[in-house]
Amino acid sequence: MGTPMPTPDKIDFSKLPIYMPEVECASRERIRAIQLAKLIEQVEYTYARVPWYREKMNQMGVSPADIKTLEDVRLLPFTDKSALRETFPFGMFATPMDEIVELHSSSGTTGKPIVVGYTKQDMEVWSECIARLAQMAGVTAADRVQMAFGYGMFTGGFGLHYGVQRIGGTMIPAGAGNTERHIQMIEDYGTTAIIATPSYAMHICEVGEQMGFDWASSTLQIGLFGGEPCPPKLKAEIESRMHITCTDNYGLTEVMGPGVSGECLAHRDQQHIAEDHFLWEVVDPETGEPVADGEMGELVLTPLDKKGIPVLRYCTHDLTRVVTEKCECGRTLARMQKVRSRCDDMLIIRGTNVFPSQVEDVISEIDLLAPHYHIVVDNETGLDRMTVEVEIKPEAFSDSYEEMQAFSKVVRDKLRSVLLVSPVVKLVEPGGIARAIGKAKHVDDLRK
Amino acid sequence: MSITQISVFVESKPGHMGRVLGAFSANGINVHGFSASDTGEYGIVRFVVDDTDRALEVLQSMGSAARKTEVLCVKLDDSVGQLQKVMETLAEAKLNVAYCYSLASTYIALSVRDLPGAEAALQAAGMNMVDNADLANFMVGETM
Repeated sequence: MGTPMPTPDKIDFSKLPIYMPEVECASRERIRAIQLAKLIEQVEYTYARVPWYREKMNQMGVSPADIKTLEDVRLLPFTDKSALRETFPFGMFATPMDEIVELHSSSGTTGKPIVVGYTKQDMEVWSECIARLAQMAGVTAADRVQMAFGYGMFTGGFGLHYGVQRIGGTMIPAGAGNTERHIQMIEDYGTTAIIATPSYAMHICEVGEQMGFDWASSTLQIGLFGGEPCPPKLKAEIESRMHITCTDNYGLTEVMGPGVSGECLAHRDQQHIAEDHFLWEVVDPETGEPVADGEMGELVLTPLDKKGIPVLRYCTHDLTRVVTEKCECGRTLARMQKVRSRCDDMLIIRGTNVFPSQVEDVISEIDLLAPHYHIVVDNETGLDRMTVEVEIKPEAFSDSYEEMQAFSKVVRDKLRSVLLVSPVVKLVEPGGIARAIGKAKHVDDLRK
Repeated sequence: MSITQISVFVESKPGHMGRVLGAFSANGINVHGFSASDTGEYGIVRFVVDDTDRALEVLQSMGSAARKTEVLCVKLDDSVGQLQKVMETLAEAKLNVAYCYSLASTYIALSVRDLPGAEAALQAAGMNMVDNADLANFMVGETM
């Protein structure tokens, strides 16, 4: 029998483990001091070893000696994915290959993938960051943790694997796919935590229900999610149907992989940034200038002790805001609001800016719809046309076509009032929207 | 007196209706009659089957959106003007038929908001209605 996690408002945070309280709960002054010392060293290291940065900085007239305060990071050049693509495969590496102990690459849905290399020290930092977020979710050495991410080049699989082992948890490296076997393994091995994308966790949940597996009495207690944003309603649904507590973490291959920030149980829409390893900035994506404290903008990250591939001011294209007040969980590390949208997943439909996360928000407020959607944009008729496929819950179904049409119109009107463009709404049967094993693909832009 | 049909939300895509019918076959459920029309991207497919409760259970276990509804089932004589008589009778009673379909040519299912009203009107016009039990008996061995 699984012991259900207490609901967050009943959690005694003093009883939950904190992996590195000496940094996770340090004063803001201490955190900033650690960051500054590391930033100075990291800029020197990068300038000395990576020609791409040396040239950029020389062009800009900036030298490592100019970095005297944390704010001086703004003197440094931005980096985006194109720099890593241009120098593919190893042009940005700062160490000889014999110091690199592992390679990973991004999923590379468009163009060449980007490849990153980790030194032994990088692997230590990475597993430490993962260990922190696993403990935020309550994972301890007593847990049996089943991997439902794919292993391979994707950073999620091995990243989480090493981090859980660092805590002393038992890794069950099942990998992605073969859902029935996952469920069988949970039962056979008494799995207590599962690592998955939220979409795949939902799929495992549904397949288990169809197999007659009783999630309420299973040993599973914790879900560690990542790989894609986790809409709050989807998470709530997984938590109630699988009887587990789920947290999700944030990270990206270009700066390390998962583990940049992780959700504690006190603020379920925020994630603590591993600030002693990552210097964050929030900037206006148009101008690159910092936004006011606590305002929404693009997250820019500078890993502070990455040796394999140092990266300065990496533009994540992820939109967030950051708060630095001490958290109820005891941690003082800054919290970023969970990323719901990216600057580059904005769609422009007939001149109007539309974010898929807006569609997600509208859908999550309609009880008769499942938290799954798919957007198709085309211009077959000459004009941009946005079709939103939404999945009805069985109870939304009526025997009357008229009523179904009326329901579809309600959904359309709600979307229109938020998006300011009128989409075509397509009702899809329960389970009709494909569940991804990896990252869910929410948008197909077919415009020519 | 009415019969029970099962309505299923089915997307208008190849194989979607086949999936429902496949589940019926696999569970030994016999389809007496059905209706499906070209309502666009999705449709409501209605079935009259020999074991409605089982069929609903099967569909629900598949996660399908399905529900039972009551419809009148009128048995017509196989002769000229019979269908017209049904419609005219209901029209005179100011009752609208939302949809209708035939099970076999002589058994037709009608969806109306006011089942008892329509039943009374049709009965007064001398038409026979059947219920689930009758249907099971009548239809044994009849070709559809």
